[in-house]
Amino acid sequence: MTTLASAPEQTATAPAATPTRTRRRGARKVTSAGPLTHVLLVLTAFLSVFPLYWTAVAASKTNAELAGTPPPFLPDADLFTNIGRAMEEAPIGLAIVNSVIVAGCITVGTVLCSTLAGFAFAKLRFRGNKTLLGLVIGTMMVPTQLAIIPLFILIAQLQWVDHLQAVVLPTLVSAFGVFFMRQFLSQALPDELLEAARVDGASTMRTFWSVVVPVARPAMAVLAMLTFLTAWNDFFWPIIALTSENPTVQVALAGLGGGYVPDTAVIMAGTLVGTLPVLVVFVVLGKQIVGGIMQGAVKG
Amino acid sequence: MTIASDDPRVAAAAAPPPSVPPAPATAARRRRSRLTRNRWGYAYVAPFFLLFAAFSLYPFLYTAYISLHDVRLSDLDGAVFVGFGNYTELLQDEFFWNAARNTLTIGILSTVPQLAIALGLAHLLNYRLRGRTFFRVAMLMPYATSIAAATLVFAQLFGHDYGLINTLLEAVGFDRIDWESGSWTSQIAISVIVTWRWTGYNALIYLAAMQAIPNDLYEAATLDGASRWKQFVHVTIPALRPTILFTIVVSTIGAVQLFGEPLLFSGNGMTNGGVSNQYQTLGLLMYDQGWTNFRLGQAAATAWTMFLIILVVVGVYGLIARRRARAER
Amino acid sequence: MATVTFDSATRIYPKSDRPAVDGLDLQIGDGEFLVLVGPSGCGKSTSLRMLAGLEEIDAGSIRIGDRDVTDAPPKDRDIAMVFQNYALYPHMTVEQNMGFALKIAGVPKSEIATRVAEAAKILDLEDYLGRRPKALSGGQRQRVAMGRAIVRSPQVFLMDEPLSNLDAKLRVQTRTQIAALQRRLGVTTVYVTHDQVEAMTMGDRVAVLKDGLLQQCDTPGTLYERPANTFVAGFIGSPAMNVITGPVVDGGVRLAGAVLPVPRERLLRAAGDGGRVTVGFRPEAVELAPEGVPVVVNVVEQLGSDAFLYATLGASDDGDVLHTADLVVRTEPRSAPAVGETVHLRVREGGLHVFDPVSQQRID
Repeated sequence: MTTLASAPEQTATAPAATPTRTRRRGARKVTSAGPLTHVLLVLTAFLSVFPLYWTAVAASKTNAELAGTPPPFLPDADLFTNIGRAMEEAPIGLAIVNSVIVAGCITVGTVLCSTLAGFAFAKLRFRGNKTLLGLVIGTMMVPTQLAIIPLFILIAQLQWVDHLQAVVLPTLVSAFGVFFMRQFLSQALPDELLEAARVDGASTMRTFWSVVVPVARPAMAVLAMLTFLTAWNDFFWPIIALTSENPTVQVALAGLGGGYVPDTAVIMAGTLVGTLPVLVVFVVLGKQIVGGIMQGAVKG
Repeated sequence: MTIASDDPRVAAAAAPPPSVPPAPATAARRRRSRLTRNRWGYAYVAPFFLLFAAFSLYPFLYTAYISLHDVRLSDLDGAVFVGFGNYTELLQDEFFWNAARNTLTIGILSTVPQLAIALGLAHLLNYRLRGRTFFRVAMLMPYATSIAAATLVFAQLFGHDYGLINTLLEAVGFDRIDWESGSWTSQIAISVIVTWRWTGYNALIYLAAMQAIPNDLYEAATLDGASRWKQFVHVTIPALRPTILFTIVVSTIGAVQLFGEPLLFSGNGMTNGGVSNQYQTLGLLMYDQGWTNFRLGQAAATAWTMFLIILVVVGVYGLIARRRARAER
Repeated sequence: MATVTFDSATRIYPKSDRPAVDGLDLQIGDGEFLVLVGPSGCGKSTSLRMLAGLEEIDAGSIRIGDRDVTDAPPKDRDIAMVFQNYALYPHMTVEQNMGFALKIAGVPKSEIATRVAEAAKILDLEDYLGRRPKALSGGQRQRVAMGRAIVRSPQVFLMDEPLSNLDAKLRVQTRTQIAALQRRLGVTTVYVTHDQVEAMTMGDRVAVLKDGLLQQCDTPGTLYERPANTFVAGFIGSPAMNVITGPVVDGGVRLAGAVLPVPRERLLRAAGDGGRVTVGFRPEAVELAPEGVPVVVNVVEQLGSDAFLYATLGASDDGDVLHTADLVVRTEPRSAPAVGETVHLRVREGGLHVFDPVSQQRID
């Protein structure tokens, strides 16, 4: 007997037609926050944001102004001069274009691979699926360091050093993504929906595109945001695979920071330009990203 | 739930499943694997595992192979088999022990306060709040900042002459600190960067777990006369234990691999982690061995050692967690 | 339109010793409305899913019309299914939901539109064709699920507890509508429910299952009048039939010191084993009498048109009742006795069922 028929009183409360996210929002404590709570939170928020604000301040000053006492706390007019100098020191414009390409490709590829594999692990029964899933989870423990030497030899032999595909391809492997999509689809995709598609005559592929992907869309969006962020900020492998001739933002920033005579204003200007795109995205989509991380946390 | 394979041959071509001998159809009980077994599963996981095999598994094993050889970055084909020579050399290398010590202290300095603060923050965020989303997004901003950007900014903030932190210290009557050159101070500074980037993220993870705790547990505790602090200790923390373990494991894995922060903190692109290697971590040491000294075999041995350290530490956590769980039963 | 035949169809789930459905034999006529009913875990849904092709058949076979579909995938069986939770595609409109199967089958767009419009008209869904399932009430979703099945004009409708997510009032309404619709369309229908009232009101015939075994398959009237065994007797009818086992005495069975008369020939066939017999009588087949089986009234339920007495057999020092069952008795609401009173029961003419105490099978 299926669980469906043996426990109608359980399934009855959650009609399959609306696979609502089952996150509990009701478990909110009634207690309102006191003044102390607010003070602490404002302080934390300040500490979280201040270094970024200070980046903008420092980027808009001359070095002489920065060295003054007391230090300046308001942005100034030298911002564009400093950015211009940073652009001369390091190819920040090229780096941003490269980062967009790299992070974009990684995001599309990762979300696709993860949704396919996550669906298979969540809903398809095939020989060895548990073992393979265990392998995926185990992969999350493996440090990046373990792969980079052979990868470096590989891309050297393929003459891919300084080519973007050298960064994109290895980074497409996201065990987290597979696991994340699996967790989401196990809950959000009712078996009956797949059975209905089967009875309706849909092939497995058709079912995937017409039924699974639409249901998975919210999780795919969250995964895309997180993947893009991670890819944009990725440091270790890009700094090995790329040089400052054709850098991503992080590689360019590392080059900027590693200059012979540290020029604070210029470094901060470069940091600002390289960080601003993600911060803008983050401020716009912040709510969704927060929701995504919390959702992943409960399921994971 | 399964989906019938529409054409197993297609799927089989994409990823050959282990061959199943066709069972003879007996009258008593026929085996019809066709309806519930789905070979399409292999096709769906194939893209991931092909990439995984090419860019994770193969390098993983090849690193093991390299770690048993003397390989120079300048002469990749001239590998000489040295057995466990790289490992024994590593264990006798004072740089290795120094880096291991640094990794441990920075790991503790960054992980323990980070998770403790995150837990407290999550508790605060769990109250009914005005501007909930604002606080959450603000606390996640550091997570969105890259290691490179964060480290460059903090390197300036921790600067000796013009750094804001020293200016602040001086303003309240302390001496300026040369953060970079001191052993403890540099490690504290690096831990601050790590803590800054990850505290908000972990707070959100804890918050999500706290919100999943059924409210009636708190109601029952209130009826039993438990104070808010008692509720936090006796209801929240036990319910959060799996999540806490999860964050500890993730933070530990991150701490063992710590690389970008110490690399960029020096401000000169050097891989030695300070003049007296006072903040050289294992990740940095490995990079130093491979890409500064061109000794890939040695670097591979360090990488595998790091992985073994992670396995041991995670294994110990698992044992402790299991023992605790058993003790409570 | 077609007949459906289960021929010793068996399903054994992996890692389970006991078959979920054990050698099911069932012939369903063309255009017939057959209800599969039984308690949780009896195998009714599994049977339906075997017919749908969602569950393997480990032994035996299933035919639709003359065609053996035992190994056919669902799409080749020409069936349509209504799921308990409706399983509507959440991202598609009502129209797209209903037309999805046709679209996959490559039916021309204009024909899809016509057929969807027809079904929508029948089900009174015309105003909702552009909506997503989320924007519909439970009853509307249920109708969309029905519509999705109707649009395909299949040979067989399969319905898996399609009403269990509706509230009680809507369920009663919808039940009548589905039954009427099925008669109008004349499509062979297999309907699963755990609710015996639903089964009795809707089915041309009702198949009662328990533990994967078919107990009885017959018209609702016959199931009620002549239950094949004590399980069916207790399962069909509400309140349930009173079933008691007691020692055989001359002319009947002794209950609480009194003798309940049982026809001689049936008594003889039942008494083969240890001198006991199982008898059953429905609450409405009993009347209060000056003489008869004494019972003590525990609770009186006044329903307006009827009153039900919940009673236990009266005191008896010889302990002759083997199952000290609680009894339910229907009486006239005005003359209902008070709680605590002892009354005497007599079974009306033709109201007594006799069962073998060991095999539990009916004896005529």
